[in-house]
Amino acid sequence: MYTRGPVIVMELPEQLNHAEGGAFLAEMQPLLEIHRPRVVLDCSQVQHMDSAGIEVLLHCVEEAMKRDGDLKLAALSPAAAAILELMRVDRLFEVFASADEAARSFHAVASIEESQSPPWYSVPYGLPDLKSAS
Amino acid sequence: MGLGAIVVIGAERESLLAGPLACVDILGRSMVERAIERFVRYEVEAVTVLAESEECYGSRTSAGGLDSANVKVVADVVSAITEQLKEYAEKGIEHSFIVSGSMYAETDLLDLFYFHREAQQIVTRGIDREGPLDLWVVDCAKAREADLGILLKEEQEPGNSYFIRDYVSRVTQPQDLRRLVSDALAGRCALRPSGREIRPGIWIGERAEVHRRARIVAPAYIGCGSKVEEDTLITRCSSIERDCYVDCGTVIEDSSILANTHVGIWLDVCHAVASGNKLLSLGHDVVVEISDPSVMRSNDETRRALDLSLQHVEQQVVAAIEVAAIQREQPPAPETWQLGANPIQG
Repeated sequence: MYTRGPVIVMELPEQLNHAEGGAFLAEMQPLLEIHRPRVVLDCSQVQHMDSAGIEVLLHCVEEAMKRDGDLKLAALSPAAAAILELMRVDRLFEVFASADEAARSFHAVASIEESQSPPWYSVPYGLPDLKSAS
Repeated sequence: MGLGAIVVIGAERESLLAGPLACVDILGRSMVERAIERFVRYEVEAVTVLAESEECYGSRTSAGGLDSANVKVVADVVSAITEQLKEYAEKGIEHSFIVSGSMYAETDLLDLFYFHREAQQIVTRGIDREGPLDLWVVDCAKAREADLGILLKEEQEPGNSYFIRDYVSRVTQPQDLRRLVSDALAGRCALRPSGREIRPGIWIGERAEVHRRARIVAPAYIGCGSKVEEDTLITRCSSIERDCYVDCGTVIEDSSILANTHVGIWLDVCHAVASGNKLLSLGHDVVVEISDPSVMRSNDETRRALDLSLQHVEQQVVAAIEVAAIQREQPPAPETWQLGANPIQG
C-alpha cells in the first residue's frame, strides 16, 4: 500500500478468491472506515479472480460510497477485465490504465470541488439580504 | 470416374478446447461432419477421415456423425495419405480430394475435379484471395510414384491452381469459428444451422427448451437439447450449441456457447466463445478459466450425476415393481376395522 496525497493505492493479490479476498478485505477495512476514503486498487498483479473476489470489490466500493468516497480500478489485466464484464460489474467502477492516472483523477475532482463556491444549501437562503436591509 | 475423399483432422489444440476445432459443433454439426456430408452428396465413392489424435472424434463417432466415413487414427499424416491413395488406386478410384477438416470452402467440387483432370497434373491445389488452401485433388495412381509430402506443400503456378471465388473460412482459432457462425446466421455463406427455423433467423434444434419469457433476437441458434431459462437474452448472431444450459437473466450477445456448457445466472457473455468453464473474450483476446462452477462449467459432470441419479431411480422403480409383483402373488390380509379408528362414526 502507498499513498498519493489523500489517495490510498492498494495492490490486489494475484489470486483474488475466497481465502485471499478475505485477507485482503481485513487489511482494507480500516482504510475504508475513514471519512471520504479515496482508494485506487491496482489490479496489475491479478491473474485469477472468482465470484468471491468480485464480492470483495463490491463490498469495498459500497463501503467507500457510504462514506462519500470512491474506489477506482487501475491496470486491469485482460483476464480480470473479462471476468468483470462477465459478472456485469465492470460498469460499477471507473477503470484507468495506471494507478497514477487513477490517483490523478481524484486530485482533479478535489481541485474542482475546492474552486467551486460553497453549495447553495450551506448558506441560509436570503440571509445576506436581510442583514443589509437591517 | 472413380472419386474418393480424404478428410484430415490435425492434432493442433489451443487453450479453449480439448480437441481440434474441426470436431467442434458449429451450428449443430462439426466441420468434419459437414465435409463428409458434402462429399456424400457429390456421390464420392469412399470417404476416409485421418485423425492425428484419437480423442478428437471419439464423441462424434458415438453420436453417429461419421457413419458414412472410414475413420483412422494416424501418427504421420503424409504417409497415411500416401497409403490411403494407394488403397484407393487398388480399388479403382482414380482421383481423390484431400481436405483439411478445419477448412470450410463453398466451391463446386466437380468443377474443381474437371479443372484438375483437364490440367493433367498429379496434384491441383485450391487457392483463394488470401493464398493456398488445404484443399487438393490428387491423381491416386500417379501420386504413388511422386513424393506426396513435397507435392502437397509446394505452391503451384497460379495457372495450375484452382481459384475459389466463393466463401472460404479457415477455422484455425476460436475467433474464426465465431466469424463463421456470424456469417452463417447472417446469411453471408451457405452454411445452414441444423434444426428448424421457427421464426425468420431463429433456429432451434430438437429437444431444445426456450422459456416463454426468454428473448431471442434473430439471427440466433439454439442447439438440440439445450435449455434457455426465463429473462435471458440471446442476440446478435449468437449460437448455443447442443446440451447447453443458460440460466435466468443472462445475456448472450455476439457469442458462441459451445456444446455442453452451463452458463450461470445473471451474466453478460458478450463478444466471446465459451466452452465448459473456459471463456475466450474476443474483446480482450484472453482465455479465462472460471473456477466457480455456479458461474460456468461443463455440463458433462451434471449429466453424469443425472445419469447416476436416473440409475438410482431406475433401481428403485425395479425394486418397487418386484415388491408389487410379490404382493400381487400374496394378497395382503384384509384390514381389520376398529371402532376407535373408524373416521365415520355415529
